[in-house]
Amino acid sequence: MTIKVLDPTAEGPAAAARPAAPLATLQGATIGILDNGKIRVDRFCDFVEEILRAEYGVAGVVRRRKRNASAPAPADVMADLLACDGVISAVGD
Amino acid sequence: MGARILEVADGTEANEVFARHGWTDGLPIVAPTPERVAAALDAALLEPERILGVEPVRGLAITAEKVAINAVMAGCRPADVAVVAAAVEAMCEPAYLLHGSAASTGGSAPLLVVNGPIRTELGLHATDNALGGGGPNVAIGRALRLVLLNLLGCEPGVLDHSTLGHPGKISFCLAEDEEDSPWLPLAQERGVPAGVSAVTVLACAPPRQVMNEWTADPEEICETFAAEIRANQCGYSIWPGNYVLVVPRQLRDLLAAAGWQKADIRHRVWERARVRRRDWEAWGKRALAGRGEPDQEFPALESPDDLLVVAAGGAAGGFAAVIPPWLGNRARAVTAGIGVCLACGPEEER
Repeated sequence: MTIKVLDPTAEGPAAAARPAAPLATLQGATIGILDNGKIRVDRFCDFVEEILRAEYGVAGVVRRRKRNASAPAPADVMADLLACDGVISAVGD
Repeated sequence: MGARILEVADGTEANEVFARHGWTDGLPIVAPTPERVAAALDAALLEPERILGVEPVRGLAITAEKVAINAVMAGCRPADVAVVAAAVEAMCEPAYLLHGSAASTGGSAPLLVVNGPIRTELGLHATDNALGGGGPNVAIGRALRLVLLNLLGCEPGVLDHSTLGHPGKISFCLAEDEEDSPWLPLAQERGVPAGVSAVTVLACAPPRQVMNEWTADPEEICETFAAEIRANQCGYSIWPGNYVLVVPRQLRDLLAAAGWQKADIRHRVWERARVRRRDWEAWGKRALAGRGEPDQEFPALESPDDLLVVAAGGAAGGFAAVIPPWLGNRARAVTAGIGVCLACGPEEER
């Protein structure tokens, strides 16, 4: 004798989501950096931008900053980031 | 029903399997058999595929079936599930800030305050030890914890990055003692018609207990509440937001004897719960105190309506509790009808 029990976790579309394919190269790419707006995250992102430009040859960096770390980025910020080849979402704290 | 079915030997093995997968909070669970989950959905008048809400940041749809599974696991009786479902609906409103509150280092818990006839129908606990757990409140609050864990991935250290968290995260469900209170219930103050059951949910910090047994003066009593809120502003967070004030019987009687309604309390506390920038210095935060004009004023409540006054607790003792917001006015209290859509026309009621 066995009993049946139901899976309590999320199934369906969310579980089926897949990460995007990685970029083949950063050379010449435009990279977005989304800063979550917490103290000194901007300085951390400055270093990231410097490394991306100096060592990986990215063509452009689009910097955006959230006003509320705990809320989604507003639509205009998301639109700017969607135009990039790749985005770094920086969760600094 | 669409949920994946697992076969186990018995309830004991179900507990072992669920614990191994990280699907529990560390306490034993009731095995969510299809029969139990179906009974829960029937009692709440919910179709299993009904989407109770969509978590706004990651777009995760939360179905009634999955909520019912987690509620059964938490120990809810079928009739309790309507409260859990309404709380999930409220938490999915953008104003509640579900993702942020569940992930933040601030470590908040969803506080539920239940109003209306469902409190007595379910036998919800509202008097002695009101904040310490009792009756079906415990399973209802726990169900939210399991929903966060299993449907939103709020595993500590994975998505839940609470630095400390607090005991309310285990279960934090309060009912208002409407029968023994001279005041308007919270839900009615927030626009819910009398006779309709509702749950108000807020992402909150842990409760701060105060005591004043040395006065019958309503202004002095409210000064004790306001002083505790000022302490929270200096010690925890300066930002204004929804504060919850839980007032048990003894102080309630004194305030009522002076003719004070909730609106009078809200107004007085709104006036008095405010700090100045220089106050931070006494709290070891000189760097913040020196960042601007020393007399700059920070109110704890943007308006008197931001204070949620709840009548609950035992009869004896001049105690009360201030429950601060997790993130000021960026995460708001949300009220949802239980078994009824407050924003819908009559034909859309479920």
